[in-house]
Amino acid sequence: MKRSLFGRLWPNVTAVVLFIGFVFPVYWMFATAFKPTGDIISEDPVWFPTDITFEHFKRATGVDHFWTYVSNSLIVTFCAVAFALVIALAGSFALARMRFKGRRGFVIGFMLAQMAPWEVMIIAMYMIVRDASMLNSLVPLTVFYMMMILPFTILTLRGFVAAVPRELEEAAMVDGCSRAQAFRKVILPLLAPGLMSTSLFGFITAWNEFPLVLVLNKETEAQTLPLWLSSFQTAFGNDWGATMAASSLFAIPILILFVFLQRRAVSGLTAGAVKG
Amino acid sequence: MKRKLISAIGVAGMMISLAACGGDNGDGGNKAGADGYAGQTLTVWVMDGSSPDQWQKDVQAAFEKQTKAKVKFEVQQWNGIQQKLTTALSEENPPDVFEIGNTQTPAYAKTGGLADLADLKSEIGADWTESLNESSIYDGKQYAAPWYFANRVVLYNKKIWAEAGIKDTPKTRDEFYADLKQIGEKTDAEPIYLPGQNWYHFVGLTIGEGAELVKKDGDKYVSNLADPKVAAAMETYKKFQALSKAPKDKDEATPQQGEVFGKGNVGAFIGMGWEAGIAIEANKKIEKEIGYFTIPGATADKPEGVFLGGSNLAVAAGSEKQELAKEFLKIALSDKYEGELAKLNGVIPNKESLQTNLKGNVVAEAAAPAAAGGGTTPLIPEWAAVENAPNPIKTYMTAVLNGKSPAEAAKQVEDEFNKRLSQQQ
Amino acid sequence: MTVQTERPPSGPVDVTKRDESGPAGPRRRAASRAGALTPYLLLLPACVATVLLLGWPLLKDVLLSFQNLNMAQLIQHVTEWNGVDNYKEVLTGEDFWRVTLRSILFTAVNVALIMVAGALVGLLLARLGRRMRVMLMVGLVLAWAMPVVAATTVYQWLFAQRFGVVNWVLDKLGWHSMADYSWTSSQMSTFFVVTVLIVWQSIPFVAINLYAATTTIPSELYEAAALDGAGGWKSFTTVTLPFLRPFLYATTFLEIIWVFKAFVQVFTINGGGPDRLTEILPVYAYIEGVGNQHYGMGAAIAVLTILILLGLTAYYLRIVLKREEEEAGL
Repeated sequence: MKRSLFGRLWPNVTAVVLFIGFVFPVYWMFATAFKPTGDIISEDPVWFPTDITFEHFKRATGVDHFWTYVSNSLIVTFCAVAFALVIALAGSFALARMRFKGRRGFVIGFMLAQMAPWEVMIIAMYMIVRDASMLNSLVPLTVFYMMMILPFTILTLRGFVAAVPRELEEAAMVDGCSRAQAFRKVILPLLAPGLMSTSLFGFITAWNEFPLVLVLNKETEAQTLPLWLSSFQTAFGNDWGATMAASSLFAIPILILFVFLQRRAVSGLTAGAVKG
Repeated sequence: MKRKLISAIGVAGMMISLAACGGDNGDGGNKAGADGYAGQTLTVWVMDGSSPDQWQKDVQAAFEKQTKAKVKFEVQQWNGIQQKLTTALSEENPPDVFEIGNTQTPAYAKTGGLADLADLKSEIGADWTESLNESSIYDGKQYAAPWYFANRVVLYNKKIWAEAGIKDTPKTRDEFYADLKQIGEKTDAEPIYLPGQNWYHFVGLTIGEGAELVKKDGDKYVSNLADPKVAAAMETYKKFQALSKAPKDKDEATPQQGEVFGKGNVGAFIGMGWEAGIAIEANKKIEKEIGYFTIPGATADKPEGVFLGGSNLAVAAGSEKQELAKEFLKIALSDKYEGELAKLNGVIPNKESLQTNLKGNVVAEAAAPAAAGGGTTPLIPEWAAVENAPNPIKTYMTAVLNGKSPAEAAKQVEDEFNKRLSQQQ
Repeated sequence: MTVQTERPPSGPVDVTKRDESGPAGPRRRAASRAGALTPYLLLLPACVATVLLLGWPLLKDVLLSFQNLNMAQLIQHVTEWNGVDNYKEVLTGEDFWRVTLRSILFTAVNVALIMVAGALVGLLLARLGRRMRVMLMVGLVLAWAMPVVAATTVYQWLFAQRFGVVNWVLDKLGWHSMADYSWTSSQMSTFFVVTVLIVWQSIPFVAINLYAATTTIPSELYEAAALDGAGGWKSFTTVTLPFLRPFLYATTFLEIIWVFKAFVQVFTINGGGPDRLTEILPVYAYIEGVGNQHYGMGAAIAVLTILILLGLTAYYLRIVLKREEEEAGL
């Protein structure tokens, strides 16, 4: 059965159109960031930045404490994700591999926890942290971000753990490993892609979080990049060049991480983690 | 360049005289002792654009010299400031001193978050201009100190006006309109950049019409937007806005109107004098083209009504450094530094006697004629809630500009407006 | 990143069952007795964290919802109980119900668009040649990875009234009234921008995961269907769809949660405007609570928001409950 030319062509044409649709906003962000202001505020769009300038990036990074924001964001994000992974790994192992009373309750509990609308509870969280004298510190941020991603991490890892063949673990235990050793030596390496793809969600969430840090940390020493990005919008009105440069800088770490981890994540998925 | 140099010389002079002052005080036995405040740091919140770096540096030097304590200025954005200030005042370490908008002061005075400054007033405030001090007084008590005031002017592009063949700046509203029309016809520039939600200018227009935004209904304040005088002000706004391509649902900060003007293709805009700086930053070449004039009123003898924007300085009731905070206020509001601020920023100082500092300042000279007829939003604690986004007055403006009649638009936002005015406190 | 389906893959679970019911060796039994506490110990950190970091703020929020808490009370740390006044005011006002209805419609439209378009793109991925597939995947991953704060900013720029590229394109396409169109000027156009943004960001998640899931469908199933004389559409409905059903359920559940909570997108694009017409529940709670400094009221709206979200996802939670019950063999 030979397909018509049209039949062969349309998926590719659709793919190209979709590709452009998905990439254009990202492209436009970078393109705007490198264009001189005159080309940005121009009656006819300048599609390709010919006259490349770094002026907007200079303006974006020239803000006081820029590097403090960067390091705070990195610290908070990595710690939150790391803690969440460790705690979730233990929990998901129990949920995927063990039978015990109340298992169902735990699963439902984490599903409910996953639904928590954090943005609407901000004042409650603020008052707790304030009354504990923990304002302007990275600690509450880290633990709350950890909590924001924990339920998703547990539930997702559960699928990955369950997908590791039980026989492998048993074989290791027959070979004289303790259960803990079997876990470390056999399951953990097999879980690596799962851990990576799950951590992506955590990275994005923690990297992006904005309403909470805005209320908790008023001192610049304890603020993170999303605040820096949003302060741009208010301070410079719509200075699109600088705002896009800031957005680009903000997005780059996640874009890199994603492109790097996603390859493994998809291979992890195709390995069967997602089938249900 | 030249101005900077002059001010630098002036500053040097002041520092010398201040050093002498500090010595005197030490000998005279300052209450806190010669270095009673050493090691302490006073946190001061100032709003973006309100005080030039030079001023901050000078005051800092003077303050550190006199008290041996340090002062840290933290620049805040207007956007979302109320939310930030409220939480900050509830914390263990609130900012010790902070700038607060005059229209927002009564609400905060009522919360108990501001320290009573009665003794400061009697010590240094005897000759504060009464009308400017009005917003700082709540329930008969002094909760803040007046700092500076300013009103809007027209900033225009001399080159475009010359191109359109206009010789003189307009003296009446009709002349102003005719000039802008002429620019539209004779040049390819946008005559005026006036976004739909420059609500401070609109408040100015209502003041010019003698209109009130709220009225008393029993013991409650309610919307007075349905007043025909308010409608008249809005019609004026609409007439001028029609000459602009600016968005009808944005305010003057999104995008910064100074930046749009800086592109050099806009005839004029209505803004604060310091917004020229934004234009110059966007386009250096615009600097020599910028001119200023008073917003013309209905007749030549009376300029347009203006909103007298201003800021007070207040001390947090929760601050542990009350004395030090007052020391700071005494220095910052002293004739020397109050005068310097007026000079550098072209703003109206808190005392009549300091107005001489405005001589020769082009912005101040354009602003001054209107200031006498200036006014503010109602100085009541209920007002602060109105300014929280989404501000119903901005909604009203956009509705009219999009074709609703002022009466309809007033009706549309009335509920929201009244709800905010009657919000439980 | 992946999707958690409502139960672990069937294979290992069957193994579990066999283990428990079948004759277990003595070594295994001893181990299981000693390890009876192990699952609870393993879950302990997660539970402590949840109770402390989620349960406590939640409880605090409920307490606040029974208080009159405004600027003065917050600043002076005063607690003023006012019973159910906040709830009474919220529930008797028209606003809340209007916003609730809007939120539900908004969520439904977005999730439907995301699921349909996402599934179509996922199936397209499965059909493409290798090179085209990689290209489209790269595009999808880029959109997916854009941090929300950055993406929202970029969309504001794309749809800017002046100098925005979208208006320019529409104008050049002959729709001249769009040349200086303000996308934030009306309710529908604001929702349009927000929806494009959310759908653009969410499709990759659905599409890539769905594609990954289709690759795991054993080809024997299709072969069997073909033997039965099933055509393209038939084999899609009899093989592909049933195989993907649990995945689709789980994804829909996640998308409902994410779209319903799309605070940053809605708030940043137009602050819930114009005239408060695009406020969805989380935005409404924020504007009434934090924005208007009417914190007790905000807390009450927050509690109601949580209840409504629970209602929206109840159907799915019931499915999960039942599945887990069956698995547990109770």
